[in-house]
Amino acid sequence: MIATKILRKDFQRKKIISIVVFAFILLSALLVASGTNLIMDLSSALNALMAKSQAPHFVQMHAGEVDQAEIDRWAAGNRLVEEQQTVEMITVDGSTLYVGDSETAEENSIMDISFVTQNRDFDFLLDLDNRVIHLSPGEVAVPIYYVQRDDLELGDTVRITDGAFERIFTIAAFVRDAQMNPSIVHSKRFLVHEDDYAALREHFAETEYLIEFRLTDAGQMDRFSQAYQSSGLPKKGTAVDRNLFKTLNGLTDGIVAGVVIVLSLLLMIIAILCLRFTIIATIEEDTKEIGVMKAIGIARGDIRRIYLAKYAVMGVLASVLGHLGSLFLGRVLSANIGIYLGEASKGLLQHAVPFVAASSIGLMVFVSCAVVLRRLSQITPVEALRSGTVGESARNMPALALKKSRLLDVNVFLGFRDVVQRFKLFGLLCFVFFFCAFVIIVPVHFLTTIQSPTFISYMGIGQSDIRIDLRQSDDMVDRFERMVAYLGDDPDVERFSPLVTSQFTMIGSDGAPETISIETGDFSIFPLDYVAGTAPEQEHEMALSSLNAKEMEKEVGDTITLLVAGDEREMTVSGIYQDVTNGGRTAKAVLPHEPDDVLSYAVSLDLVSQRLIDEKVREYSEAFYPARVTDLEGYLAQTLGNTIEQLRMVTMVAVAVGLAVAVLITSLFLRMLISKDASQIAIMRSMGFSLRDVRVQYLSRALILLSLGIVLGTVFSNTLGQRLVSALWALMGASQIKFVIDLLQAYVLLPLLLMLAVSVTTLINMAGIRETNIAEMIME
Amino acid sequence: MTILLESKQLNKRFVLGKQNEHHVLKDVDLQIERGEFVSVMGPSGSGKSTLLYNVSGMGRMTSGSVVLDGQELSDLSEGALSDLRLTEMGFIFQHIHLLHNLSIFDNIILPAYLARNGSRAGADRRAAELMETVGIAELADHDVTQASGGQLQRVGICRALINEPVIVFGDEPTGALNSKAAGEIMDLLADFNRSGTTIMLVTHSAKIAARTERVLFMLDGRIVAERRLGKYTGNGDIRAREEGLSSWLLDMGF
Repeated sequence: MIATKILRKDFQRKKIISIVVFAFILLSALLVASGTNLIMDLSSALNALMAKSQAPHFVQMHAGEVDQAEIDRWAAGNRLVEEQQTVEMITVDGSTLYVGDSETAEENSIMDISFVTQNRDFDFLLDLDNRVIHLSPGEVAVPIYYVQRDDLELGDTVRITDGAFERIFTIAAFVRDAQMNPSIVHSKRFLVHEDDYAALREHFAETEYLIEFRLTDAGQMDRFSQAYQSSGLPKKGTAVDRNLFKTLNGLTDGIVAGVVIVLSLLLMIIAILCLRFTIIATIEEDTKEIGVMKAIGIARGDIRRIYLAKYAVMGVLASVLGHLGSLFLGRVLSANIGIYLGEASKGLLQHAVPFVAASSIGLMVFVSCAVVLRRLSQITPVEALRSGTVGESARNMPALALKKSRLLDVNVFLGFRDVVQRFKLFGLLCFVFFFCAFVIIVPVHFLTTIQSPTFISYMGIGQSDIRIDLRQSDDMVDRFERMVAYLGDDPDVERFSPLVTSQFTMIGSDGAPETISIETGDFSIFPLDYVAGTAPEQEHEMALSSLNAKEMEKEVGDTITLLVAGDEREMTVSGIYQDVTNGGRTAKAVLPHEPDDVLSYAVSLDLVSQRLIDEKVREYSEAFYPARVTDLEGYLAQTLGNTIEQLRMVTMVAVAVGLAVAVLITSLFLRMLISKDASQIAIMRSMGFSLRDVRVQYLSRALILLSLGIVLGTVFSNTLGQRLVSALWALMGASQIKFVIDLLQAYVLLPLLLMLAVSVTTLINMAGIRETNIAEMIME
Repeated sequence: MTILLESKQLNKRFVLGKQNEHHVLKDVDLQIERGEFVSVMGPSGSGKSTLLYNVSGMGRMTSGSVVLDGQELSDLSEGALSDLRLTEMGFIFQHIHLLHNLSIFDNIILPAYLARNGSRAGADRRAAELMETVGIAELADHDVTQASGGQLQRVGICRALINEPVIVFGDEPTGALNSKAAGEIMDLLADFNRSGTTIMLVTHSAKIAARTERVLFMLDGRIVAERRLGKYTGNGDIRAREEGLSSWLLDMGF
């Protein structure tokens, strides 16, 4: 009863402070529960998708003829193979495809578009309810990528036409494709009925195959992959496995979850620091009362329990509300998962983990309060009753004497001096501002980086105005040579670089042959930034993508044995670069190539003027049809579109959180500080300091701390923040991300925004000073 | 002699809760002439400190008028009142109320730097002179924790006088000091008064009031009596003044 009264009175006395601290704990619990919930959702949805679609464990893409009998024989002789199927895909050029209401074909899409029928044994394409799709003639199921991009609905149409042939399909379902869902995978499968497939097959002759396996032991994927690579089976294309499907499918939401959890932990640290500050200030204010309680015989433990009760109630309530809130926020955060991966039913564990995470926040808060409240034992009744203070004194600083200040405004000087003098006290605010700046700047830098044209270098491609990709066809070699000649004669082309990607065989560390996809050409024309070493220049040099280098355990200077024109050639690793495409496993060399081994041809080119880009894209699309011609921006947008959208959302949330934290903490801190400094403020006002003078002092303190926090936040963002982001993207093959910084945004606009928020908050919170009665304060 | 400070029908009420009001000052009329040294006495709760703070503008009166050097205080904004406190008034408090994070010298020059009353170098010189006059020149770079109560009160006096105010208000300026220190402080104040500074102070001590030239006696929020003692010259007549005042106060029932 008494405890309840004390709690209520304490809350009424410090309403704003209690609310702010409560808000921090709540926010922390909310975010940690949401983040763990997101991870639970992602994990369940991924597993459910993989299970329901019966995703293959290993897939070898192949462009060319397939001898199924040979594959069957090999599979029968391999104990690891549980099931095998070869999926035929009709590949169509984007210029023949019109999706939805669009009057523009997909001609410059970077996606490799295929038509398939529903698989027989596994690797099922699912609808949005995660059911295996079965279509009727005239119907098509469209990959989710297009749903998001074009805002498609069931009943819309997909038209395929090359002038001589046309077919219009009605969209009857949207495809969840365990292999090809994410936009970073440049292949998409459209599902049609067998009859339609047969009709398309008659007209569009180009096919590719997915040679798929399900294994008896999923843990043996690497061993199986090596065995396949060593076999003579078709392998004119990339080999991927289930781990990669999961990584790529989970990447975007995984990053969001990671960021949310890190945010929540940082918020929890701030909440604990705020609580520490609040408790210490409260103890100081209540020293006399605590002294009285001790003097009349109330035990230290009982006094501690009274104070602890308040924070226990706060912690429990905030954790519960945070968890409840996460049920709503979780839906927002998991929306992307729901679309791309589907929803999976959650077991008890999946429900329990976010609750436990939220509760742990409350528990940590409670424990830290208990630790801080040990200070109560330092208060002796006599000292407390006599002085009413715990004995804090500010140290004098002769170096910062007022008399030495000749230029600075008195109020600004006093504010600055106080910050230096009581930096231990102000350290919390400075740390929070640093945190806010960090939380805002890192996502902004990353968003700028991923939207920058230079990001292309993390895709293993040098920066150029236009990129032309030739797709597999019988006359690919002729078309390539004609294209090179055409570009060579084009006066609008400043420079161009033909690149050929071929399948080579290398001798692995265990002596077994393995295939490796190598791009050959002149890499000096459109150079990449290398993580280590340089681009290959000589015929005995090759560069590896960082994931490849990591897996092969190769560094610059090491050697790899390749089979080149039938002979073994020792290649020296000249450099290591970053590449997030093709599962991050690529290589570059200056080598002759066999036409039969070529997987693709590409040309990168720069124009004499960037104003010609659109016109040239049109010209080349026509001239080199059915080549895929894209400008750099379009290439990036198509590949990273979804990731950029998610990142934009995360960035907005981060900016909002950063600003909110800055505002809340400034409010909390100022209120505590003004309360603590009340007598000093009264003395100054009695001397003739106006309200404006006092406001300038506190504003100066806040802005000095904020400036320091921003500078530190900026430095850490550009160093530690960059490393954090690199660590995340290392999973994909880009381990050394270098931020591209928008100077105006990062160093002018965002700091100004923070300063504005903090200044307004400071001024609003100072309004209460007007109400204090100087005379009453002095007479007290 | 011109009137420097005048209050008319000054009332102050404190609202303590619902339908609970405390009428502390009741229709107080007061006049202080330029150069006077006035003390206000009375039992606890008579309203003497409240009177001091209301005629100085630190408290807001409920009704009435206070005019200082021709300016009606109730007409002034918060900013203008602050300016007035800074440039025209000085305050000396019982508990001195220095800023503990500044040195002694910085405490003294702070109002001068804020007022921008001449150059900062000029303010430094005035502060040094005042410290010399009151006998604490050696304490310039000391912390406020490094001086005795009497020394700190001298600091308070210097701070109150740094901007050469027209009036100095003192709220029990010797209340926290021993009798020797109290005597020294009052001697200093008397010296400054003789140089032309108008002083109004509140005290409960007849010994202190005896060093002023006019004593106002308050009871239940009103000035009920007044006694003129004449200027204190400091030439050994203090005992007679104390005795005369004490017996007058006894007659008042104080």
